[in-house]
Amino acid sequence: MDRLAEAPKSTFLEKISTRHFRSGWKAFIIIFFLLFVILPTVWVLSYIFTDWSSIETVMGDPDLMSTIYDAILASFEIAAIVTVIDIIVGLPMAWILVRKEFRGKRYLDTLIDMPLAVPTAALGFSCAIFWAATSSNVNAPGFAPGFVDSAFLLIVLLHVVFSYPYMVRSLAAILEQIDVTYETAGRALGATKLTAARTITLPLFRAGLVTGIILCMARSLSETGGTMIALATMANSGNFETGPTLIGAWKSNPDLIPQLAFVSILLIVISLILLIILKIAVMKIKLPAGKVWPKYERILSRGWAPFLKDSTSSAFLFIFVLIPSFFIFTYVVVLPYQSAEWGLFWDSLFYSFIIAGVVTVLDIIMGVPMALYVARGHGSKIIQSLDVLVNVPLIVPTAALGFSLGMFWGDVPGIGSFDFILIVMAHVAFTYPLVVRNVAGAVEEIDPSYEETARTLGAKPLQAFRRVLYPMIKTSILAGAIMAFTRSLGETGATLAVVANANTAPVYIVDLINTEQFYTAGLACIVLIIVSYVFMVLLRYITKRRVA
Amino acid sequence: MPEITVRGLTKRYGKVIAVDDATLTIKDKEYVTILGPSGCGKTTLIRMMAGIIEPTEGKVFIDGKDMKGVPIEERDLGYVFQNIALFPNMNVGENVSYSPRVKGKSPEEQGTTSHKYLELVKLLDKMGMFPGELCGGEQQKVSLARALATGSKLLLLDEPLSALDARVRVDLRYDLRRLVKALGITTVHVTHDQEEAMSVSDRIVLMRAGAIVEMGTPEQLYTKPENIFTMNFIGETNLIEGWVRERSVGLCKIELRDGSELEVHSCPYDTGTAVVVSVRPEFVYPFTSGLRSKIVSTTYMGTYWRMTAESASEDEIDFDVPVSDGHLYKIGQEVYLMINNKATVVFPRPHEGIAEAVKLE
Amino acid sequence: MPGIRVLNVKKSYGDIHAADGIDLEIRDGEYMCILGPTGAGKTTFLRALCGLTPLDKGKIFFGDKEVTKEEPEDRGAVMLSQTYSLFPHLTVQDNILFGPDIRGMSDPDKEKTLSSMLDLVRLTSRSDAYPRELSGGMQQRTALARALASGCDVLLLDEPLRALDARLRISLRYELKDLAKSLGLTTVHVTHDQDEAMVMADRIAVIKEGRILQVGTPAEVFDSPVSPFVANFVGQSNFFKGTIESSEGHTVLRTESGSLLEAKATDIDIGCEAVLAVKVGNTEISKDGVGFLQGTVERILFEGRYLHVDLLVDGNGRISAKVPSWRMGKIAVGDRKQIRWNPEKARVFPIPEWGLERELKVE
Repeated sequence: MDRLAEAPKSTFLEKISTRHFRSGWKAFIIIFFLLFVILPTVWVLSYIFTDWSSIETVMGDPDLMSTIYDAILASFEIAAIVTVIDIIVGLPMAWILVRKEFRGKRYLDTLIDMPLAVPTAALGFSCAIFWAATSSNVNAPGFAPGFVDSAFLLIVLLHVVFSYPYMVRSLAAILEQIDVTYETAGRALGATKLTAARTITLPLFRAGLVTGIILCMARSLSETGGTMIALATMANSGNFETGPTLIGAWKSNPDLIPQLAFVSILLIVISLILLIILKIAVMKIKLPAGKVWPKYERILSRGWAPFLKDSTSSAFLFIFVLIPSFFIFTYVVVLPYQSAEWGLFWDSLFYSFIIAGVVTVLDIIMGVPMALYVARGHGSKIIQSLDVLVNVPLIVPTAALGFSLGMFWGDVPGIGSFDFILIVMAHVAFTYPLVVRNVAGAVEEIDPSYEETARTLGAKPLQAFRRVLYPMIKTSILAGAIMAFTRSLGETGATLAVVANANTAPVYIVDLINTEQFYTAGLACIVLIIVSYVFMVLLRYITKRRVA
Repeated sequence: MPEITVRGLTKRYGKVIAVDDATLTIKDKEYVTILGPSGCGKTTLIRMMAGIIEPTEGKVFIDGKDMKGVPIEERDLGYVFQNIALFPNMNVGENVSYSPRVKGKSPEEQGTTSHKYLELVKLLDKMGMFPGELCGGEQQKVSLARALATGSKLLLLDEPLSALDARVRVDLRYDLRRLVKALGITTVHVTHDQEEAMSVSDRIVLMRAGAIVEMGTPEQLYTKPENIFTMNFIGETNLIEGWVRERSVGLCKIELRDGSELEVHSCPYDTGTAVVVSVRPEFVYPFTSGLRSKIVSTTYMGTYWRMTAESASEDEIDFDVPVSDGHLYKIGQEVYLMINNKATVVFPRPHEGIAEAVKLE
Repeated sequence: MPGIRVLNVKKSYGDIHAADGIDLEIRDGEYMCILGPTGAGKTTFLRALCGLTPLDKGKIFFGDKEVTKEEPEDRGAVMLSQTYSLFPHLTVQDNILFGPDIRGMSDPDKEKTLSSMLDLVRLTSRSDAYPRELSGGMQQRTALARALASGCDVLLLDEPLRALDARLRISLRYELKDLAKSLGLTTVHVTHDQDEAMVMADRIAVIKEGRILQVGTPAEVFDSPVSPFVANFVGQSNFFKGTIESSEGHTVLRTESGSLLEAKATDIDIGCEAVLAVKVGNTEISKDGVGFLQGTVERILFEGRYLHVDLLVDGNGRISAKVPSWRMGKIAVGDRKQIRWNPEKARVFPIPEWGLERELKVE
């Protein structure tokens, strides 16, 4: 049986299958990640060492300090409140999605993701005209509630809209991993539904809860465009600022570098510290799982109580999430047609598309190999620490990230002077983790024995990837790509922070609002929504097909 | 006293019928096994008994009470899961005392209950350990103790041993029966393992493709089953094709494919009927006369040799020779095989073919 | 065609020694079963053979060629994982052709390989089906065909029957072995099921805690176990503790209660503490004569071929025996029985230093 000898000599494949080449390629991917993603993201921290004196100057200015202090505090307060709301209303919704079977579940599933299709810039405008008291030149429809006159409250309402789907999705993902048999076992032992969920599932849940909280807070802390727009649209925002809007506002002034650096450093450092505290705290907090109240819990497990819970969470979805997201459509329908200057908008949209496209391609090429190492390299300490590092750009507020990145590349000849390259770099930094996480998650779910079996059947590592693993994860790669694309398309904060007068679509919309061209801004938002929506539909179509 | 009855129980998923019109009664203190190949509906059946799955049609009665609409937590039963499902966030003691705890019993009572049942399964020393620190057999014993700690006299076991190693499984099944019998508990046990079913049960319910094929004691099903599928599923057997040549009182003569003749225990079929004669390998003996056959393989089984021979009638016949006989046959050697005609069972030849009738999956 | 030689293979994960100095020679064309409880290091050994787990120490030879450092794809040894790992996105046909495709086999040759493989595993009619549409047994056969089509000459099977129903498992034992034998493959089959190993193996290697305890034919391992663990793991045994009384012809062991038990001669010194092991299936019980021990029948379970009888032995706790099931009705609970065995079938071992109970733990 000398069939082994039939193997053809394909020299290229042989070459790239050698251990040397494989180690080299792995090193290249990791170096790219460290040099182009992680280092620029936190580069601003070096400012502490290189230019401490100018930071001291900033800290010596009490007026400035109070502005910064107020903005940063507001940012974190909003993030915290939004996260708490999201958990409270998101948990029952996640439960419905995972543990319940009913007709129309598919539609509910789709509805929850809908706000993700709306770029935050458009969301900001839509939310503002729905909730906020607006001045008359905005021409908000008369039937909008329009009673919110606190800037703080408006921003909380806005942030709930776009962070809610993230929270529900991550809670649902965790819940899905907790075997339902545990609850059934609890019930077989005499526990009511509520008792079983509270004493068994919830304690198993908390490690995963951290993921949801971090995603949610990070999104809230990062959001710039929508917040700026909402503040500009409402009647009387006073001098309300959040950390990211401060960066957005100051960036155009070249004299404010130390101030910007200071704000960025604060945002980054506090976010990272918060993350660490959260990770520790959530595991330490004792949930009320010890006591049981059989009688009351039995009442709450049957009849009207669960119904009330489910209907409340559905109502919340509609009133606080879906309607504010899409209210903008009524705005455009109600108003009479006005002519507008469209040329600039199409230019900016085209520019945004090119950026998002380039960013996505870079993410895939550099991110997929990284995802493979992260998912398959649990044994190695280096890989484990890379796994943690990949999350850093997700946590760092994008405005701070953008500023930091601008500082890093600003002085590098050939990069610092090209806005396009800078914006692409910034977008790669915060979308790269999305691709890596998505793909790594998919790879982790695939039993390594598929590739291993392929190897023993005679496949070289690259062949095993291309013929066995790739077909199984290609939908996840696509899903990650589309997510990166839409996030890049909708991003304002990082763009503004890296290049003060960038010409991307969301930035253009912010400008329109600031110059009170509300009608044109509304139409631009709708175009942006539709474009994003097309991509979202594509995403759902692709991921659904994977499930089938 | 717990007695469980299901009547006309049916579960349909769209067009797929998982369980089709199952009716049976499990008497007080009886140990009944529901046995069948993968996908035969046995798990669906026991889950409907427990109230984990709602039946499409039919009823479940526990102690004569209709269980319709009664959730699992109020059916007063213990349930052991195939994947063991010990709560990973609680230690062994907390797992076992979970039931008294959620029923609002005092901490002292919770303590004495977990103590009592852990002692029963001889795992008292593992009280403070977490499930992940135990090996498979121990985990399943804790899970059993947890189910018993409900104080219920009805125990439902869903493939309780199938996640374990073969050797552990064997030890545990004897312990399992000893334990529930000592406590006087009514037990329903689901398994795909016919050896396990025979070792533990008072009565076996054999299922196939959603329907109950046959019920009876292990001895009935092993020695005198009514169905050819049962015969083959419960243990290895020889299936020899032939036709009824002659019937007389207590005896039947069967003509085989090569014209040779086999005497079997009486059968109710007319002369000329196409039949299958079944006889288990331990009731076939090499002798000076009988079916002329040639040995094709020999396998050492520890206490006996398993011989496979091909007869002149082109039937493959397995027979066993005790090691203590000291007589060894060689492959290719010619032997004559006698059949203990008291141990034969004759079935009409299934119209779908023998292979199809005894198919295992 | 290679035999396999494994020299002093070591592999640890932290404190756990998955392979702790394994030496083993597997002959060309042999069907070798690696038998042991969960966590004994069986799978690690298999993965080391095909190159998926790098070794800490030791050498592996296929024939005369050292393959210790070779990549998995260059070894010509195919592993079949427990779940078969059929590629879910490929049909039966494409799964089978995976190996030939990789090796760049010509189309007519592929065609020929495919049809002969499909024929061999009786799946010609299902060649366009996807793995999820097949039953467990068919999946197993497809995986086997895929392995064979790759042109391997070493087949590594990781619990190939575990995912199947108990009854089906019994039927497929013979089929699987016949296939491997008829193609002349050197096969290493890992299992925790001693019946499976007995039926299928040319030789069995019993493994525990990363060490090989015994290598031998099924008859050797069953009848001449080297330790109480092997005696109990390969077929259940009854154990009796005592001291060696004499060793002429047969060894005689005196139990604490004073009974004299006979076993095959050993060289353990007279007066030493020892344990006698006799297989449940070789333990005979009868009403008449004088046995080594006397006991009362505690329970009888019908198990088909055998009755499983538990007895309470005077002064020696509980033992079990398997008697032919035609004796059903002739034995009853409460009966007094004489217990004896053929001394040639019983073995005496020194008491293990970690105690008998720990020695006998099967997981």
